Order: sequence, then structure tokens, then C-alpha cells
Amino acid sequence: MMWSEKHRPASLSAMMGNEEARGQLAAWLKGWRKGARPVLLVGPPGTGKTTAAFLACEAFGYDMVGLDASDARSRSRISGVLGPVMGNAGVSGRPALIFVDEVDGIHGRADFGGAEALLRLLKEPTVPVIMAANSDASPKMKSIEKASKTLRFRPVPPRLLRAHLRRVLREEGASLSPGTEIRTAEGCGGDMRRMLNAAQSLAAGFDIPADAGQGMLDAQAGTDAFFAAGDAESALAALRAMRMDPREKIGTLFSAVATARLPPEAAARAMDAISEADLLYGRILRTKQWRLLRYMDAALAAKLHRATRGAGVRYERYGLPWQLLNRIRWDGRAVRSLCGALGRRMHASSSEFSTVYLPYLAYMVGACGAEPPDLSSEGGDGGQALAAALAKEAGARGGMPR
Amino acid sequence: MAGGGVMWVEKHRPAKLSEVVGQAEAIGSIRALLERPAEMPHLMFSGSAGVGKTTTALCIARQVLGDHMRDHLLELNASDERGIGMVRDKVKRFSNYAAFADVPFKIIILDEADEMTADAQTALRRTIEDAARVCRFILVANNISKIIDPIQSRCAVFKFTAIPKGDLVAHLGRLAKAEKVAADRKSLEEIYDQAEGDLRHAINILQAAAATGSGKVTADNIRAAAGLARADSVEGVVKAAMGGNLAKAREGMVELVKVYGMSESDFLKYACGAVYRAAPPNMGEVLEAMAKYDYRILAGSSPEIQLTAMLAELGRLGASR
Ligand SMILES: Nc1ncnc2c1ncn2[C@@H]1O[C@H](COP(=O)(O)OP(=O)(O)O)[C@@H](O)[C@H]1O
Ligand SMILES: [Mg+2]
Repeated sequence: MMWSEKHRPASLSAMMGNEEARGQLAAWLKGWRKGARPVLLVGPPGTGKTTAAFLACEAFGYDMVGLDASDARSRSRISGVLGPVMGNAGVSGRPALIFVDEVDGIHGRADFGGAEALLRLLKEPTVPVIMAANSDASPKMKSIEKASKTLRFRPVPPRLLRAHLRRVLREEGASLSPGTEIRTAEGCGGDMRRMLNAAQSLAAGFDIPADAGQGMLDAQAGTDAFFAAGDAESALAALRAMRMDPREKIGTLFSAVATARLPPEAAARAMDAISEADLLYGRILRTKQWRLLRYMDAALAAKLHRATRGAGVRYERYGLPWQLLNRIRWDGRAVRSLCGALGRRMHASSSEFSTVYLPYLAYMVGACGAEPPDLSSEGGDGGQALAAALAKEAGARGGMPR
Repeated sequence: MAGGGVMWVEKHRPAKLSEVVGQAEAIGSIRALLERPAEMPHLMFSGSAGVGKTTTALCIARQVLGDHMRDHLLELNASDERGIGMVRDKVKRFSNYAAFADVPFKIIILDEADEMTADAQTALRRTIEDAARVCRFILVANNISKIIDPIQSRCAVFKFTAIPKGDLVAHLGRLAKAEKVAADRKSLEEIYDQAEGDLRHAINILQAAAATGSGKVTADNIRAAAGLARADSVEGVVKAAMGGNLAKAREGMVELVKVYGMSESDFLKYACGAVYRAAPPNMGEVLEAMAKYDYRILAGSSPEIQLTAMLAELGRLGASR
């Protein structure tokens, strides 16, 4: 599992950096009344905007409903998805809160009309609205800013990053040399996610080439160059120029192929190539034979490029719908603890409990009003997170608890 | 455990060997073995889900350990333990000191033992030997062919079978009466058709159907209740994949694995079941592809990538039917 996912803070106060902005966000949501202005969180990637929004939501008992840049933000979509929510409850019976991630990406051509629809919505909010943006430089952002209260998120200072890094390393039973530790904390531009991704690769034995000079490609440019390449050699060159560790590289290509909607034959061949690259990487991790890495790019350039040539595959940052990503990030942990705890009581593994017990338990509680099991002795918070997870499952199984 | 709470499967779990339904052969031999408990060998139970393997293991522990069960029974589930290291540590700590005088040995139930890789099982063999002075093991597995021979040969092996229709229907009838539910024989037979020989699933269906109908079980309620099981979601994923909708299939799979924590091997198990039921003309090829990815999940680094590649392969095979 990715460290950046696994070591996500569990509460607003457990976050690193941006104390003031977090405090203001909590105060805003705590004192929220109908008609109050939305907030806009502005700051570079990886500074905790999305995390803070979600944790605030959890802390004050809201259900997050949201959109992000991977949704086509047509006018109809915005009013279609968000309109009905206004003033209504979310799926689990808790009040709804709207979260629009990456609003600064809203002005593209595909989003024509979306910004206007959003602005209209912001004028008379009947539920709390939180937006996040990487930058507020564009002129269109000014109109959004005017309608809302801006909170600034700054890069997390290296001192705090390093403290966090050390804690994560300790919990993982891993270590880096002091020099590497400092370089990792300082070289990530205040982006927590990037720091943890880099640390995870370094701890596994991978060394990001230190001499990565000009002409290096980021994930998006590299991926697009790879799939647009006319022949296997240029595809290989694109892969070699991508400055990222192998896990991320495979993951980026995978995301692009998985969302490309290729015909079945091509999809199977492309996925097989990626599967083989992952197989090789698994072997390298186990045997620590990093020299085998050089074959990975070559194999991908040959097989994957042939399977996708001319199919118009493109970089895709998320690869999964935003709602699902959020469920993985935020519901996943609680659901899995719930299944672990109740599985132990019923002599079943967590997976078995989730598969053959939970759907029935949720149905009995949600649709038939059965008393949920007492969870107060489970988890660190008196079982509240687990009880909330069960209530959400029960709500989704038809009928509302209570 | 006090309070199976809301779920009948737990509330009505047999506490004694004599209450276990079906499995006459296995239970008969086990009772004979337990007449001289001091000589009990390590045991291994194999068989499909929901037929009483874990229940029987717990009954044995209760019979042998009596009031000392709390301190003298260690329950482990290989699907939850992270690797052989965790298993070894827990077994070591548990078998560090001998049992009190009035029980013959301590008992370790290792459930879902077939979740361990062959390498881990080889290490487990040593662990079993080291602990044998103080402990007896009861190993439980779905698929005995995934257990290495040296472990099998150290255990008395018992095969648990799917619960026969007559036994299952009669047991549901007793439960219905105890829970004051109106269910005629025909509905109970309908439940059998849905659950086949999986008694746990059958009881869950009975309870959910009864709750829907406020104490009256009808055919419609039964079918709706049977569909709640998440195995059905896996079937949906397989159908989407074979129908060529890779994006939808992948999203369904990711939700099961990453939100609900379904293990990759459980996913594969239910996916295989779905393929058997759908019985496509090229079923041999489909199952072969699944076996290939079963291996790749273990050998590769990202289960999500491997499972998605498998779904893409199913899409290709679905299109070439
Ligand atoms: N043979 C059986 N006799 C009585 N109840 C059973 C039997 N098999 C399963 N059950 C019911 O299903 C539940 C789960 O059974 P379990 O022993 O955990 O199955 P598994 O074979 O998967 O280990 C039990 O709590 C019990 O209610
Ligand atoms: Mg079991």
C-alpha cells in the first residue's frame, strides 16, 4: 500500500502545517448558517486541501457530495448533480456538504458554462460549500473569489515534513540515511504526498537518478509522448525520460490504458503488457536486483506501444471516478476496521465478514430496524468511526436507520 | 461468545458437536478421537464455505478445554495475518508456557490456512513441530489442494461436504420455529435452491427474508435476500468484463477490494464460481486465464493491476465466444 494513503492523518488536528487555515476552516464550518459564504482553499498540490476539507466534514458530521476536475463540468452536470442536493440530506442521512476540487480547472472548453452554473449556485448556498484550487491567478477565479472566503494553504515547511517522515519511517520499520532523509524532505517542494512516495521508493532500495537534468518529462508529458510516439524507439525514449520511480511509472501507464476504452482485443494485449511489467517489478522488489529494471522500459516500449499504437491513449491523473476515489480514501479505512472487529467476534476473516456477513447485517439494521451491535469497545474513538461506517452501509441498504 | 447479537448465524451456532448439522462421517470420527483426548492428533478440515468447519473446530475446543477455553485457545485467520512472521510470533508467544494440569493441551485454530503461500506453509511446518509439545493445531482450509503435503501428512484430515437438502431444510425449519417465523416447506426449499449447500448463506437468507416480510417468508423476499450477498457483486463484475465493459468491471472490482477489503483470493474464488454458473462455451480458456492471474497476483507488485488485466482478458474471451 502507498504510504501516502496509509499514513493519512485521522483528524484535522493531526495534520501537518497550515495550522491557521485549518483552524479557520473548522471555525467556519462549526459556525455555518444558511446563506453563509462558501470557502475557497487555495494552495499548491500536496499541501492538504482535500484532506482538510474531508476531515472537517467528518468532524462536524457532514456527508460530502462532490465534483472534481475529472468530471466534465458542463452546465447541466453541475446543476444536475449539485442542484438536488441543495437543502437536502446526503445518502447516509447526515446533512450534505458540497466539495468542488480543483475549481481552477473548471474553465477549460469541456467545462463551458460550468463556471457560470457554479457561480449561480454559490450566491445562495443552502448547504456548506468548500472549493479548492491550486492557484487563483486566472481572471475567472476572481469572480469565484469574490463570492467566497479565501483560505490560503502554503507548502509545508521542511522541518515539519521531516518530523512526519521520521514518524512514518519508524512506523514502517524502515530507515533512510540522515542525508537522504533531509534531501527527501527538502526536495519535494512542500508536497507531502510527493515526499512520502519518494521515501517509499528510496526505502525499497530504488535510487532516483540524481543527475536528472533538462529534457526530463513529468508524468503527463511522458505518458502522452509515449502513446503518441510513432515507433517503439521514440516510445522507449519517452519512458526513459520520465523522472519517476518504476511503481509510479507503471501506475501512470496503467491509469491511462484503463480509462482509454480500447476495444477488447487491444485492451487485453495492453493490460497484459502492463501486467508483465508489474510482474517484473514484483520480482525486482523481492530479489533487490535493481539492474533488471532496465528491461522493464524496453519491454513496455515494445509490447505496450504495439498494442496501443494510434489508439489515442492519453494521460489520466485519476483513472477512477472521483466518488469512488473518495470512498476508497475515506470510507475504506473505517469499513475495513469494522469488518476486522466484527469478523473477530464472529470467527471470520475481515474479507469473509465483509463478503458474507456485512451485507446482511447492514440490511437488517438499515431496512428492518434491527439494533446494531455495540461497537463502543472498538477503535480508538469509542467505536464512533466504526458505528458511522455501519450506519452508512445500513443507509445504503435501503431505509434509514432509526 | 455472549450475544451473537442480531445475526442468527451467530446466535444459533452449534455449541456442541452433537448439534452440528450433516457431516455425520466427519463428526462421527472426531467424536471417536475425542474419547481419549490426550491422544488427539493435529486436525485439518477442508470443504466449501458455510458448512460447519470453523464451528466444529470451536466445538472441539469447547469440549476439550471446557472452562479454560479463554486462555488455552488461540484463534488465527491466515487471511488477516500479515505473513508467516505474524503467525509464528503469535504461536510462539502462545506456546511459550504449558497448559494447566487439567487440560491435555492448548489448541490453535488456524482458519483459512490455504491463504498462505507454499513458502509460508513450509515455515509453518516448523512452527507446528516446535509448538506440538504444548499445542494441537486445527487447520481449516477451503481448498485442500493448496495445502502442501508435508502439512497434510501431519494431520488427520476430514472433508466437510455441502449440507444435503433434507438436513438443511429441516434445520431451517427448526430455526424458523425458534424465531417465530412463518415459513412453509416450499419456501425453505426455495432457500436451499438459492444457497445450495451453504448453511450460513441459507440462514442469512432466512433471517433477511423474514425481516422484510415482518415474520412471513415469501418467494420474492427470498430472492431479494439471496441477492444481498456480495458474491453477487463479483458476479456483476465478471458479467461486465465479459460483456466488454472494462471500465465498469474495474470500478466494481476496485470497490470490493479497496473499500470493502475483499481479499484478492476471495475475489477470484467468487469470480470462478460466477464463471462456472455462466458456463460460457470457452470456459476452459477462461478458467486458465484466471489461474494465470492467480499466480501473477502473488508474484507481481500491484494486485489492482493484475486483477484489472485479468478483467481485460475476460473481455477478450467474452468477445471471442
Ligand atoms: N454443519 C452446520 N451445522 C449447524 N450450523 C452450521 C453448519 N454449518 C454452518 N452453520 C451455520 O453457519 C455459520 C457459519 O458456519 P462456519 O462453521 O463458520 O462455516 P465454515 O465451514 O465456512 O467454517 C454458523 O455460525 C452456523 O450458524
Ligand atoms: Mg470458516
